[in-house]
Order: sequence, then C-alpha cells, then structure tokens
Amino acid sequence: MNRREVLKKIALGMGGILSATTMGVLFESFTLLESKKNGVLFTTTDEAILAEFAEVILPTTKLSPGAKEAGLGKFIPMIVADCYPPNMQTIFSDGLKEMQNRAVKEYHNDFLKITPQQRKELLDSLRIEALQNKKAPSFFKIARDLTILGYFSSEIGCTKAREYLPVPGYYDGNVTYKKGQKAWTLN
Amino acid sequence: MNINTNLKEENTYDAIVIGSGISGGWAAKELTEKGLKVLMLERGMNIEHIKDYTSAMKAPWQIPHRGKLTEEQKRTHPVQIRDYPYNEATEKWWVNDLECPYTEIKRFDWYRGFHLGGKSLMWGRQSYRFSEHNFEDNKKDGHGNDWPIRYNDIAPWYDYVEKFAGISGQKENWPLLPDGQFMPPMEMNCLEKSVKKRIEEHYNHTRLMTIGRTANITVPHNGRTNCQYRNLCSRGCPFGGYFSTQSATLPAAMATKKLTVRPYSIVNHIIYDKDSKKAKGVMVIDAQTNKTMEFYAKIIFVNGSTLGSTFILLNSTSEAHPNGLGNASGQLGQNLMDHHFRCGAVGKSDDFKDKYVYGRRANGIYIPRYQNVGDDKRDYLRGFGYQGGASRDGATEIAEMEFGGDFKDRMSFPDDTWTMNLTGFGEMLPYQENRVYIDYSKKDKWGQPVLAIDCEYKENEEKMREDMMNDAAEMLEAAGLKNVTTYDNGCSPGMAIHEMGTARMGNDPKESILNKWNQMHEVNNVFVTDGSCMPSIASQNPSLTFMALTARACDYAVKELKKKNI
Repeated sequence: MNRREVLKKIALGMGGILSATTMGVLFESFTLLESKKNGVLFTTTDEAILAEFAEVILPTTKLSPGAKEAGLGKFIPMIVADCYPPNMQTIFSDGLKEMQNRAVKEYHNDFLKITPQQRKELLDSLRIEALQNKKAPSFFKIARDLTILGYFSSEIGCTKAREYLPVPGYYDGNVTYKKGQKAWTLN
Repeated sequence: MNINTNLKEENTYDAIVIGSGISGGWAAKELTEKGLKVLMLERGMNIEHIKDYTSAMKAPWQIPHRGKLTEEQKRTHPVQIRDYPYNEATEKWWVNDLECPYTEIKRFDWYRGFHLGGKSLMWGRQSYRFSEHNFEDNKKDGHGNDWPIRYNDIAPWYDYVEKFAGISGQKENWPLLPDGQFMPPMEMNCLEKSVKKRIEEHYNHTRLMTIGRTANITVPHNGRTNCQYRNLCSRGCPFGGYFSTQSATLPAAMATKKLTVRPYSIVNHIIYDKDSKKAKGVMVIDAQTNKTMEFYAKIIFVNGSTLGSTFILLNSTSEAHPNGLGNASGQLGQNLMDHHFRCGAVGKSDDFKDKYVYGRRANGIYIPRYQNVGDDKRDYLRGFGYQGGASRDGATEIAEMEFGGDFKDRMSFPDDTWTMNLTGFGEMLPYQENRVYIDYSKKDKWGQPVLAIDCEYKENEEKMREDMMNDAAEMLEAAGLKNVTTYDNGCSPGMAIHEMGTARMGNDPKESILNKWNQMHEVNNVFVTDGSCMPSIASQNPSLTFMALTARACDYAVKELKKKNI
C-alpha cells in the first residue's frame, strides 16, 4: 500500500538517526502488516456496485440527490481499504461477493443489471440477516454505516440534503424554526 | 579552524522557560514584558498562527476520510486513539505514541501534543476560578497537604489573566464559582433556558446552571476577532477566536523582542550547580538531530505539562539531589490526580418544536458543585460539577438499520424533539500512592528513560459517580424532560486530560516540592507553574488557575531577581 511504502522510504532516508528500537518497530511492523495484508483490492465494477448499493440506502428524492451522485461508489472502498483492519476488510469483500451471487441466484442477473426494486428487496433481506446477527460485523452493516457517514459529509449531503454555513458569525439559540427548514451540517 | 568562544555567552539568557503551552506561553510573556531576555524551549515542531492551521477552513467533504483514522494512524497512536480528541483533522497535533512510550502500571491514558502551543491549541477552553472552598478542602478533610495559598492570594491574578486572555461568561454572584473579568456571555438556547429555570426553582436556588465560561472571545480583543461560531476550535482558529499561545501570549512576548523560541528542543535535565546551590541551566536534546547542547539562565520556569515537568525534575539527579531536583521530601511524582467524567444523564423534551438554532456554539452550560455544601451531605467527600447542553441535531433512526428515501429525507431535518445532556466532572482526591517514577528499563526515541505511571480511582471516586448519574437524571426529570436515561461510558485516569499533581506546592518542605510562590523549596531559582504544582484539583477545569499561578510566580520571581535574592 502506497502509504506504507512512503513511510518506509522516509525512515530509511533518516539514516542512523532513529534508534534501533524504532527502526525495529517500524520494519517489524511493516513485515507483519505485509504478511497480514489480505490484498483486498476493489475494481471499478466493485465501485459501480457499491454506488448502486449506496443509492438504495440513500436514494435520490425530491429533496436531494442520492448517494450515488455524492460519490459513495468511490468513497466506500477507499475507507475500507485505508481505515479497516484486514479481518474486517475480508468480511466486507466476502459480503460484497455474496451480494453479487445472490443477485444472480434470485433474479438471474448481475447486481448492476437487476431493477432498483429488486435491489431494494435484496438489501431488505441483508438487513434482516444483519438484525438477526446484531453483534457480528457484516458487509451490510459496514457498507450502510459508511454510506451514511460518507453521504452526510459529502458536498451534496452537507449543502443539498442539509444546509452548510462555513462561517456562521453568531449564535442564536432561539430561532423560529421555518417549516421545511433543513438541518444544519455540524462538521 | 573557527572555535566559537562565544558559545556559552550566546547560550546564556536571563530566563529559560521549558514548554510553550498554556502556562509556558504565559511565563514567556510575563518574563519578557518585565524586561528579561528569555529562551522558550519547545520539544516539538513549530506551529505558526493561522498559516499552519491546515484543516481549520476545510469543509467536511475536504477531509479525506471524514475524520476516520487510517490503520497506519491507529498503529502509531495506540494511546491517542482511546478517546475522541485524536481524529483525522487534528492528527498532526497528537503524539506518535511509539516514539515516546511510557509504562502503565495501571491503565492511564496519557494524551500529549509535542508542538509549539502544546494543548493550548486543542484544549476545551472552559475557564473557571477555584473558590475559597476548594483551597480549604485538603486541610478540612485531611486528604493531601494544605494549600499554601488561599483565594485572596490568587484573586487579583485571576483578574489579570482573564482580562488578557478574554474569558466570556455570566456574572452570577455564586460563592462557590467566583465571577471573573468577563466578556459578554454566550447565549443559552431555548431549552437550556427553560431547564435552568426549572432546576433552580425546584431546588430552591441552592443549585445554579450558568452558560459555560469559555476562553472564546465574544467581542474583538487585542487584534483578535471574536468567535465566529464554527465549533472547529481544536483545528486552530484563523480568527484568533480562542486563547492559545499562538493567538495571545506568544505575539505579546514576541513584541518585546526579548524572546527566543527554540523548537525541537527536548529538555533532558536541569543542570544543578552545587557551589551556588542553584540551577545553572538545562541540557537539551535536539529532537531532529539528537545532538545535545546546554543553555544557561538565572531563573528557570518549568512548564512542560504536569508529567513532562515531573519527568524532567526526576531525571535531574545529582549528588545533592539523588532522587530528583528538589526532592528531599520524596514527594516528587506522588499524588497524581485527574478528573473523572463520562457519566451523567440525557433526556428529551416535547417543547420548542417551533424553535431551532443558528450557528455552532463551541460551548455548553455549567452547573457548579453543590454537594457537601451547606445542608447537602453525601457519603463521599468533595464533589462534582456538570457540563452539558441541549440540541435538536442528530436525528436518529426509527427502525433499526433502516434505509431508503424516507430515511434519507428524515435525516436531512432536525430531530423531532430536543435532547438535553448533563455530564459530570468529578474531583479526585490526592492519594500518595498514585504516583509516577522513572522506568530505566525502557527508552524513548531519543534514548531517554520513560515514566512509569501507577494511578487509579478509589472508593471516593466510585461512590461519587453514582450521584453524578442519578443527580443528573433527577434534575432533568425535575425540568420536565422525558425518556431520561443515565449513562456511564467508563473512564480511566488521564482521559479528562486534566492530570495534575506530582510536584505540589506547600508550606512545609518536608511535604512539598514548591513554596507558596511556586518556587522550589530547595533550589530557589526554579519555578514550576503547570499542573504538576497542584495540591488538589477541585471539579473545575484547571487551565485558568495555571495561567494565574504562572503570572503570579513570574511577578515574584522577577522582583526577587531584582532584589538579588535569587
């Protein structure tokens, strides 16, 4: 992974300045991570599938564009690759494959080719399974959480679904709530 | 070959300040303004006001992982990740734990920032005075040693630092929470005002709820712009809206042209001169090159943050001071304390559905301690205060793990009901056996030994936590809130980031390290004015008291220097 390679180069470039302990930690850990690395890589097809998954979770409505337009197809795999430990990455990518298999099994077509209604049904069943196994992490839970996180921190989520003020300037805790007024983006 | 015979002279100052955080910045300002040539040594990187606040003006979608930490960040920050302050937007300002390990005899979450400004960049900014009550508690119940000062000794210095720092708050004439020199207070919102009124009436005005007293300025001050209500303080404020070394004390010190700041300067020990019986200077390890060097001064202010300072003192051994500088009493490292918090209650209100807020207020409400006061007697000593606030943001799901268009649209609006939260901050007693000492079996990145930290909450703290939850629930219910629930999210020493003690003040040199002027009993040109000097911690946030003690000690130190007493 790029980030680790960069750090390795920096460490080497510092010559003998880092103590043996630190070098050991850095390089031991690198070795450890490399061997633990499960090599999860997401293809552009995966991104397209995740974009459609996210669009079912938070679809376009009259009020605001949906998660697909907000770029969740790229956001979700990036976070999984950068911010989740290998065992969770495996759960996620296995679950992603399982969802694709189910589309073919139940609706005789790829996830990308079945109808929005069929996708919704598929996700409904994934949800029910996730509810039954509440304590266990699952593809559906991770992907849904990341959809919500990613959407409501995206430019569309912050400025179209909600309202965003970069510099409010003052505080008023007693404002009349206008009917239909959207929530403030909170950072 | 050029031999620099002026090296010693070049490295000699009137005063050295170790550390550049809340108290170090104040020491630099006070000492330079009184005419001293000062060297401020910061162990970490320089951070320039505004220029280096790289995430301050970023919109949520401009933070790549939206605040989530990468696996690499988690690997190098195993302690910092234990609580919320370390996040993607502020990640450069929290230490790489692998470089500066410590030994946890019992769990202690040590949050640190090695950079100019220290934690004054990331702090919570709540600023409350101690009251006479707090200074008397040690003597009254026999825990810890008697404070060598009382409220009247420090009151003029609270005035002094508040006026410069800029503290906004509401005068309440409440003896246990003395009023300060305030800027106009921030506003409570509609539900908070209602809850305040109902709580105060219900308890016959024996309890007070006031707006938080915060180091955010509400009007322009000394060239700084008033708070713009973005609630992103911990990223650094390009407006100078809150007090930090960068926004306030450093510019004042620099204006005197008597301050030299040297970043990447780790003070390894204070150099003691046995003939003069004074500190001569400090030995510094350059954090980038590992080269060592010495700097000399007439007086030394130790402001490296509580445990940073105590480490330096413990590490400053010599024949005359075999157990650490000024440690004939054996007190150095003992009586470590921290506030315990993360428990309280939350409830919902059916009122104010026609009201909302404008702006993001970086402040909440405050309820000062009312336990073990007057007729209110508890089965534990001392007590706690509350922070908290009300909001209607954070719409939650109705059906678990729901999704779809209706769900998205509902999440786009404020919550149907307002929620109010009260979270307690409890005082921890001084216990001799809660202590730190040097562990020579481990080394940090620069070859220095590390601290071992042996600290735990005891019975008084555990008992207090029950009331912190139940009292909060009772108050919210009295205020008419529904669905009131208590919570305890678990707390470890260190999490409040208010660690104090280990080099305490006292009148008796057999029981303390410092006298009533924060001056070391045994080495009269060494002053310690950060959290390490505290004999007890009350339940109020402490940084304002550090500022006041620092300004007061600097005033005394310079007077003594002029009189040639030190």
